Amino acid sequence: MSGTNGTGDLLEVRDLYKYFPINAGVFSRHVGDVRAVDGVDFTIKKGETLGLVGESGSGKTTAGRVVLRLLEATKGQVLFEGRDVGALGREDVRKLRKEMQIIFQDPYASLNPRMTVGDIVSEPLKIHGLATGKDAEARVQELLRLVGLQPYHANRYPHEFSGGQRQRVGIARSLAVSPKFIVADEPVSALDVSIQAQVINLLQDLQQQFGLTYLFIAHDLSVVRHISTRVAVMYVGKIVEIANRDDLYANPLHPYTQALLSAIPIPDPRVESRRKRIILSGDIPSPVNPPPGCRFHTRCPVAFDRCKVEVPSLNTYATGHVAACHWVEEHNGNAPDITKGPAVLA
Amino acid sequence: MALLEVKDLHVGFKTDDGFVSAVNGLSYSVEAGSTLGIVGESGSGKSVNALSIMRLIPTPPGKIAGGTISLRGDNLLLKTEPEMRKIRGKDVAMIFQDPMTSLNPVLTVGFQIQEAVRLHLKMSNADARAKTIDMLRLVNIPSPEKRVKEYPHQMSGGMRQRVMIAMALSCDPDVLIADEPTTALDVTIQAQIIELMNEMQARLGSAIVMITHDLGVVAETCKYVLVMYAGNLVEYGTAEQIFSTPKHPYTMGLLASLPRLDESEHGRLVPIEGQPPNLLRLPSGCSFAPRCKYKMPICDTAVPLYDFGDGHVARCFLYDEKTESQRTLPVQTAPQVAGTAIATATGTP
Repeated sequence: MSGTNGTGDLLEVRDLYKYFPINAGVFSRHVGDVRAVDGVDFTIKKGETLGLVGESGSGKTTAGRVVLRLLEATKGQVLFEGRDVGALGREDVRKLRKEMQIIFQDPYASLNPRMTVGDIVSEPLKIHGLATGKDAEARVQELLRLVGLQPYHANRYPHEFSGGQRQRVGIARSLAVSPKFIVADEPVSALDVSIQAQVINLLQDLQQQFGLTYLFIAHDLSVVRHISTRVAVMYVGKIVEIANRDDLYANPLHPYTQALLSAIPIPDPRVESRRKRIILSGDIPSPVNPPPGCRFHTRCPVAFDRCKVEVPSLNTYATGHVAACHWVEEHNGNAPDITKGPAVLA
Repeated sequence: MALLEVKDLHVGFKTDDGFVSAVNGLSYSVEAGSTLGIVGESGSGKSVNALSIMRLIPTPPGKIAGGTISLRGDNLLLKTEPEMRKIRGKDVAMIFQDPMTSLNPVLTVGFQIQEAVRLHLKMSNADARAKTIDMLRLVNIPSPEKRVKEYPHQMSGGMRQRVMIAMALSCDPDVLIADEPTTALDVTIQAQIIELMNEMQARLGSAIVMITHDLGVVAETCKYVLVMYAGNLVEYGTAEQIFSTPKHPYTMGLLASLPRLDESEHGRLVPIEGQPPNLLRLPSGCSFAPRCKYKMPICDTAVPLYDFGDGHVARCFLYDEKTESQRTLPVQTAPQVAGTAIATATGTP
């Protein structure tokens, strides 16, 4: 089978659903679902970084795990190099792990405290039979050097490291099998800013050096902007907008993207004093019982009747901007000006 | 006289490995009605400083080893516990980071706010109840009459933080200490809470000490900024001074290492190399020296407090004429990150 399909997509996600059942009562009757991922489509091209952003409960982490088949999809397909990840058998999934890896958010919880760093980094090598004995040792040292640690660190335990260093160990572990694709799930959220910059630079260097493809999941839009080629925005289980990084940040179409961008404080009081702020009212709806129609209509300043009943589909507009919004659709791909409050439909 | 004045504060914790100095000689003051942002990374001592003001440092293992904390000239460190109880919540109130764990899960939110009001303002139950509903309305909680009877678990994170703010402001404190009030919240909810705090500040005039690691939040809320590193002040000034003309290499490093939403070029971030120091064994001299690219020999022995005149101070030798011969790198006046096109359009505030 060829490496990628004709369009250069390494990964394709088609109409993906992941529901977590809620059981209650003595007989654990099925009473509902947490609709964590509720019909999501996206593609990732070889060598690019797709940033996946959203607030808590938006389903971004679940989406990442279903892509790697750490969770089984309820419905839908994940195609990696044209192969349906969900249809693979046990042994094939294991082989697939050599090509797809994950970097976890919490560098404290994702390393086994009883294993030395050397054991942690060499474990994937052993599992996949890539190297043993002296070879494995040499490979571990190479990997540690690659992520900016010292070879002698191999004999130490995770508790002897700071958060930033532990995250480097996690990165070394995921690189051990020379993967093509890495899901980075909030890899820098637990780190202090000065350390965060070190890890972001490391991820970018590794991407260049090895031609890696990233799915970069984060809630920090500034970090996502810095590292991504394209950005997808999720809200309560659905993607509301996908576009090239600069298009999305310069010209957000979806009212939620606009509000999200405007909500981020910029570390410069002079800029801050001149910015127009959009403060959304209300809370993020629960994915157990999401609003009908467009999920954002309960907080959207430009919502109209259609939004309350009909689920908007993702439409592609000029410059390849993709958004799911009735307002944008009815206005030929123009973005609503939501700073002015409720707009009247022309 | 400053409303709140912290002078040469030393706080530490006894551990099996030795005495960890969390705060080392910190001094600053806050005027009535002003807003001070205290920024720093984990372990810089910003929260320990806040807990010391409230006298909430668990002792042992913690110990306030020296210094004074004066509220209107009255040293809080000399107060007895019963005296402190009268001050906490009334003169100085605090909002904690995590609204999930800082509210009592088995009491209604109404009861928890009323408790403070009854205790400090000596109100009757009926008055306290009315005051509680007023406070909830003030912090924009919809249908407060219904919400007072709810328990914390029935509310979202943003709502709970509103309840915390209502509780903290219910007795009209002179100083409100907010310890990472928005860190646990999502950005759209954070924006709501910041707006609320700015609104409350304008309305009630309490002085706010905002402790956070988020430089953006500080830029949005605070008039003055204090940057902490390894338990002490490294730089202090107005928000304008700190963000446009940072003087201390650590502050410059922090700003340069931050990816910005308004950046126009996506060059490499400039991280601060190395790790924060071990608080068990702080270096003599400047604690930032091991990571500082401007480090000079003198930095290993002493730390000055350099005053730039207009209220802007930095604990750094870089601007002292006497050290000119030791400098290895020219001093940049501002490390402005590329792409602040919006920022530089009109330079003055």
